[in-house]
Amino acid sequence: MKHFSAPRLLAAFAVIAGLMAAPASQAQEELTGPEIFEKVNNRDDGEFLTRDMKIVMTDDSGKTREQNTHTYRRYYGREKRAVIFYTDPANVKDTGFLTYDYPDPDKDDDQWLYLPALRRVRRISSSNRGDYYLGTDLTYEDIKLDTRLSDEFDWKRVGTEDVKGAECLVIEGTPKSREIAEELGYSKFKAWIDPEMWMMRRSDTWDTNGNFLKTVWWEDFTQIDGIWTVRRMFTENHKTGHTTLMEFSEIDFETPIDDDKFTERALKRGVRGR
Amino acid sequence: MTSRRAQWLAPILALLILGITGGASAQDRTGGEEGLRSLSRIVRLFNQRVADPRAQDGEDGANGFSALMDWLLESEFRDRVYVSGTLETETGIETEDGDFQKLEFILKPEFEIELPKDWYLTVIPRVRYDVFDELEPDQPEQNSISSWSRRLFVGDHGDIELREFYVQNIIRDVYVTLGKQQVVWGKADGLRVLDVVNPFDFREFILDDFDDSRIPLWMANLEIPIKDATLQLLWIPDLTYHQLPEDGATYEFVSNVPQPMPGVPTTVEDVDRPDNLITDSDVGARLSWFWEGWDLSLNYLYHYDDIPVLYRQLQITPTGPRVVVSPEYERTHLIGGTFSNAFGDLTFRGELGYSTDKYYSTTDPNDPDGVHKTGEFGYVVGFDWYGFSDTLLSFQFFQNILMDDAPGLLRDQVDNNASFLVRRDFMNDTVELSNLWVHNLNDHDGFNRSKVKYAWRDDVNVWAGLDVLYGTKEGLFGQFEESSRVLVGMEWSF
Repeated sequence: MKHFSAPRLLAAFAVIAGLMAAPASQAQEELTGPEIFEKVNNRDDGEFLTRDMKIVMTDDSGKTREQNTHTYRRYYGREKRAVIFYTDPANVKDTGFLTYDYPDPDKDDDQWLYLPALRRVRRISSSNRGDYYLGTDLTYEDIKLDTRLSDEFDWKRVGTEDVKGAECLVIEGTPKSREIAEELGYSKFKAWIDPEMWMMRRSDTWDTNGNFLKTVWWEDFTQIDGIWTVRRMFTENHKTGHTTLMEFSEIDFETPIDDDKFTERALKRGVRGR
Repeated sequence: MTSRRAQWLAPILALLILGITGGASAQDRTGGEEGLRSLSRIVRLFNQRVADPRAQDGEDGANGFSALMDWLLESEFRDRVYVSGTLETETGIETEDGDFQKLEFILKPEFEIELPKDWYLTVIPRVRYDVFDELEPDQPEQNSISSWSRRLFVGDHGDIELREFYVQNIIRDVYVTLGKQQVVWGKADGLRVLDVVNPFDFREFILDDFDDSRIPLWMANLEIPIKDATLQLLWIPDLTYHQLPEDGATYEFVSNVPQPMPGVPTTVEDVDRPDNLITDSDVGARLSWFWEGWDLSLNYLYHYDDIPVLYRQLQITPTGPRVVVSPEYERTHLIGGTFSNAFGDLTFRGELGYSTDKYYSTTDPNDPDGVHKTGEFGYVVGFDWYGFSDTLLSFQFFQNILMDDAPGLLRDQVDNNASFLVRRDFMNDTVELSNLWVHNLNDHDGFNRSKVKYAWRDDVNVWAGLDVLYGTKEGLFGQFEESSRVLVGMEWSF
């Protein structure tokens, strides 16, 4: 039986350790666009999510509108259900938006809108995913993806850049088809990914005519219940000069959310005590 | 906190003063002006107090008022009460002659009060004041409204109503809502097939928002989950029915109404109203579920029709013939259902309902009581198209069919209506343009509403609109052609 001497063992161990301890940036440098996309989308964002969201919309003259919402989100395997209840101001209070997002790209998502003035839940089309969500600068698709990247883009790595002190991996995505570009309203999507959290810190989008359209900044990151989350999202629409600030609070990934929250009757009932 | 929570007191007290002074004044305009001055004074005082509690009481002598405010702000009550609401004003000017149809002020605060054991109490009063009193001249009788649900009139111009008052809880997964409330069935916009649980006030015909014209009822409402479905059960002991405009009102119904026989005296008796809370109550059930992308429901309602049947009897008296009209409410079973689904840019929806016993007046002199009883089937199909960005195009077709025809009926056996809605949002949803056209294919009459709405601030909306009613005077819509109007309005949310 061959025995290894202690010095040889130590040397071998040092070599192995050295290889394993190769700077993270070097390993990250080797990541491709699709691999970065996978890391972002496979990030743990919790089976459940409850949070409050304040939305401040500012037009190019500086006039602002502020709305407050309460949101529930839950994964059922790869299917995602989310409901947003408006709590403030009074003219949007009790408005609710419910969505069932299916993983099958051939199956349309199901969406419902409750308007308190009508006292009815209205089934709405999910195909207008490129339309802006209820006056904000984010589209329905942006809201649905939240912090994830669209799987309807082809992603490629374009470099590494600093975003507000954080070294980020930069990827660019182009829609897989002209039809997708028309539906989403984007011809190009550029994302700056923080590899410490696998979350975006910035994204830029271009419209279908190639004009620079929007920049989204994700800021104020924190870990809650062991999950990285963002507490501030700021969107600038370069075409209109309109901005949307979303601030998240009361974030909870642990408390289970009952199935009943994602039903038409819960949508009509709204949120009590807020 | 104090600013937001306390601001609601100002408009409530102001509008109470407005209504009282407006009603007490012998002259419409004097009362209205006094009320507006009161409103301005109180809002100013409130803002001063809320902004700087150390501010000295003004010459208005508001010491007692301040004490009330202080109590509300400091008491435990404060943390359990969530207050919001709207203060709205709308002016209508008739296009025919330029006369004012209305100049309304409406305050609707909403109080949500957290009670023990996860119960919530919602209270929504409404204070309304109309400077011109054309929609409901003087004080309407309210004979069709149960005594628990009647409005309190303040003079001829103002009224105060407890619109909604209910408690809610979730008990063993069952949504329980008890009290005065609105329950809306159906999938249609504008015209109704299944939206008959609550009666309506036709003070403004069908031109007012349904949320304001629907009359809330005292009822028990349970929503019970059954696997993936929901069973809703309703028990409605509130014996309240449609409030129809009285003689002289702007939207008094004159078409399709039985007319007295020329030369024959007619006596109209008091309405025979149901009066037993238990045996005369309405009951309903709705089973709804989501299946393979379809929203589906089955609906059943055993209810009194909200318009009394006008039984007529020809009597031969020593002084000659006379007609006696005996209005009476009649009951019917309503069975129906709804469906909706989305296919790409298109949403398809519909509802249908069959009533077993409907009663329609007939002019046939051979008919012994002037009323024909028949079953009635109604349905609506609607298509909503979202293919254009920020735009909704919606088309609906309504059809109502009497199972039996009879000579002299005041309506066609088959009645057809269509509607078309275009709505477009601009400037990040701050501006909304819409046009709704409803047309009756039998009488070729209808109405068109064009409206532009602007979110001036996140708590203030302003709008302007044009309601045009057109067609034959014998038609449901055409009878009000002269009441077409221009509207301007503003709503402040708090």
